[in-house]
Amino acid sequence: MGREASITRIIGPENYARLQHFKCLIVGAGGIGSELLKDCILMGFGEIHIVDLDTIDLSNLNRQFLFRQKDIKQPKSTTAVKAVQHFSNSKLIPYQGNVMDTKQFPLHWFSQFDIFLNGLDNLAARRYVNKISQFLKKPLIESGTSGFDGYIQPILPGITECFDCTKKETPKTFPVCTIRSTPSQPIHCIVWAKNFLFNQLFTSDQSPTAGDSDDNDWGTDDKEEISRIKQETNELHDLQQVVHRQDKAHITDILKKLFIKDIEKLLQLDNLWKSRAKPVPLSESLIESTRYDHDSTDLSAVWGLEKQINQFIRVTGKLMDRISQEQYNIEFDKDDQDTLIFVATAANIRSHIFGIPIKTVFDIKQIAGNIIPAIATTNAIVAGLSTLTSLRLLNLLPYDKASSGLDVNMAFTARASNLSKDRYLSNPKLAPPNCNCAVCSKVARGVIKITIQGLEKLTLSQFIEMLKKQYGYPSETSLIDTSDQRLLVDFDFEDLLNRTLSQAKLRDGSVILFSDEEGDEREMYKQPLELYLDVVEDNAAALEVELPSLQIALFKPQKQDEKEEQEMTKEKSPANEENKNGIVILDEEENRGEKDNTATKRPRSPDQTLQDTKKAKTSKSSEYAEDIIELD
Amino acid sequence: MEPSSITSERLSKDEIDLYDRQIRLWGMAAQARMRSAKVLLIGLGSLGTEICKNVVLSGLGHLTILDDTLVQEEDLGSQFFISGGDVDSLKLDSAQSRIQDLNPRVELSFDTQSMESKTSDFYKGFDLVIGTELSTKQMTMLNELTRKYNIPIYLAGSNGLFAYIFVDLIQFDAEDEKLKGSQPTEKGQISTNTEVIEVRTRHDEDDDKKVFEVIKTRHYYKSFQQMIKTASLKGRLNRRQTKRLSSVLPLTLALLQTEDEIGKLNSRKLKEKAVVTCLQLGIPETVLDDTYVEQFTRQEGVQFAPVSAVIGGSIAQDVINILGKRQPPLNNFIVFDGITLDMPIFEF
Repeated sequence: MGREASITRIIGPENYARLQHFKCLIVGAGGIGSELLKDCILMGFGEIHIVDLDTIDLSNLNRQFLFRQKDIKQPKSTTAVKAVQHFSNSKLIPYQGNVMDTKQFPLHWFSQFDIFLNGLDNLAARRYVNKISQFLKKPLIESGTSGFDGYIQPILPGITECFDCTKKETPKTFPVCTIRSTPSQPIHCIVWAKNFLFNQLFTSDQSPTAGDSDDNDWGTDDKEEISRIKQETNELHDLQQVVHRQDKAHITDILKKLFIKDIEKLLQLDNLWKSRAKPVPLSESLIESTRYDHDSTDLSAVWGLEKQINQFIRVTGKLMDRISQEQYNIEFDKDDQDTLIFVATAANIRSHIFGIPIKTVFDIKQIAGNIIPAIATTNAIVAGLSTLTSLRLLNLLPYDKASSGLDVNMAFTARASNLSKDRYLSNPKLAPPNCNCAVCSKVARGVIKITIQGLEKLTLSQFIEMLKKQYGYPSETSLIDTSDQRLLVDFDFEDLLNRTLSQAKLRDGSVILFSDEEGDEREMYKQPLELYLDVVEDNAAALEVELPSLQIALFKPQKQDEKEEQEMTKEKSPANEENKNGIVILDEEENRGEKDNTATKRPRSPDQTLQDTKKAKTSKSSEYAEDIIELD
Repeated sequence: MEPSSITSERLSKDEIDLYDRQIRLWGMAAQARMRSAKVLLIGLGSLGTEICKNVVLSGLGHLTILDDTLVQEEDLGSQFFISGGDVDSLKLDSAQSRIQDLNPRVELSFDTQSMESKTSDFYKGFDLVIGTELSTKQMTMLNELTRKYNIPIYLAGSNGLFAYIFVDLIQFDAEDEKLKGSQPTEKGQISTNTEVIEVRTRHDEDDDKKVFEVIKTRHYYKSFQQMIKTASLKGRLNRRQTKRLSSVLPLTLALLQTEDEIGKLNSRKLKEKAVVTCLQLGIPETVLDDTYVEQFTRQEGVQFAPVSAVIGGSIAQDVINILGKRQPPLNNFIVFDGITLDMPIFEF
């Protein structure tokens, strides 16, 4: 009996032979990815490719069991593959890179795989791999964990819901006035210290009024308060000059401005304090009497006010020393201790003033750095479920009763997430595609194979005519490059019509959206068509352009106001959000290097209502994680 | 159950950095308690390998692994601490440096004697015992000893795509918190083996309006022997729940109950046994699906890596929870279906 004894007793020798010819792609070599790699090898996949952009960090080692202390700073993908050699019988190919990089990973590279297994930590990459799976009509198993919570969602394009069929939660936001005038929780002070104060003092390109534009969500109509906030921002710009001059003698001026003068001004706005406890400014003598302190510090202890102040002074001085060497631009990084302690002490001093509990640096690191707890066990469970389900999606289970993709089960950790007492896992069957999903239902999707020569010869006008003819679109259409939402052609923009595709900056990996802008006599429109340009080598046999054969459905557009409402609910990227309307948010992608964690946003399921109950049950220790979990 | 010494000594900075992502989940105190725990793992097969990996990574204090087997060719398809060159050597000899390498902070002992050669004193020093892939006879004997010394035990095994977990913590008090709702939690029995013995309230330190209930529950357990002999669902399932029952529970129990005949079982015999089990459980024998009977017959005793990952992850998590005294423990029989991913928990 060889190593294949177990698997052949389960799936039979014929299916085992098929499995040995299957190629799978594991996206991510972090917590879930390491586990997936091990499970897929032991199960007997013939060939496994694994992609990860990241390098190994100390905090990975509690769960990413293929990595050791000596591997820190090494690439995850290649290190993982080295670590499994002793038990692997599969062909293994690692890549260090971003799976969304179309140069390194063009569509035809993805097309070699029979199945994709996700072990990702961020929304953008999840969406991207989902889209690739939709373009190629290949199965994907999506998964994620956050602390004790984990889920898997198998996706069969065209048959089941895709990743984007359910709305994903957007980052938690706070009105400006809560952050700037009336904080009531530690997180408000941390956001103030990190997103406002730190950036104003140490980051370049902080125009005096950044974030204070008039279409902000101020959370108040009080004109006096809004004008105070704007003035305060201007004054902070002066403090940045103190920092840039490396004028350490005046660090106490920063303290006095932030924690005495600004608070006194706030106190003058009587309206704010009618139903709130008034803040108490620091005393000048306390600031003056505080001495520098170079003692080693325990980051997991709660510091007294005096220690907060002297650490603030110490670390501000250190950041001043650094700023001229760092092009007058220091970014907050949770693993950069100076920036972390600055944010923590500033937040805590502000908390003290407003009668809010003080936090340890350890706790503040989690909130400011958007750290999601992660453990080996949940990752192992989720990867095991994902690997088992891959057998099902590849039709390798001889006794499987599933007659269609809709009989396949997703799963999530019902008991660990306090959703059930008598089921360790919940395993609802998959749902059909959401008919309103902009990714899998509302657009037709296909891949155009085009030669390099075709790209250089064909004009946009010729190209559009080809599309109209092939798919029966009316005369008025539009064409957009979706990578940067760049309009290429529509009824009143025809400047580029005579440019070739390559002149119009279309290239391998470009995704274009072709839309009907006219409709027919019954006001029915052809569905928009999203096309991936797959550039192939010139050769005598290949056609210059090969259009996919597709049936394009008709639809009746929604009325304008409904549409707007839908736009409102669409996910906005956090970066834009801040610029656009000044809502202060925690960054989504703060925790670089922490690549395997993700929030557990389960797809729609019969237990959906239970999930709301669960939120209410969140225990104290995970309270902040919960706020931050919503990010992904 | 108390860890052997309650050393809540502070964690070092290195430990805090290494265990950062889990301390944020269960706190420093639980991490420190885990460091003082002494655990025995019996059997380093596919399940044992997964459990071992998870508890060693988590920063357990001491782990002893007991396994007297030699590496077989077929082990290579379900275990990752061994390699092709290790066939015919003692498995623990081959695996030990790879296990220690996972986390140099954990104190490990490797014992290549057989379970049968151990006197009952051997078990005395452990805070917790985990037995994997054991026979019913071995599990019964082991559980008698752990009961004698008041040691919690987890038992698990798998049959290909299907697996089970049995838990006996004898009696265990757990504390859990939840947001206070309109209906306050009351003291008293809440399920077959569980009662609420104390309810306190706690105000959130950051937001005084948030009120939590701190609920102390007492969990009662049965021995393995008693569980397989008396397991019943009579009068406990409504129609919908009965409909959701799969063949996995009666077939798993039937295999545990008829062990002497293992290896000699064909699907007809197994089905006969399972029909008797259904009777004991008080569930209709129509629950038994022939394709499942056939799979159990073919896959009896087969170890399968992804199933081990799920079961090993679940056991290790529960072990960590009870050592760290977080979250209520499992109680007391769980079965897993690797096709549908169904994983019900039965309180027998």
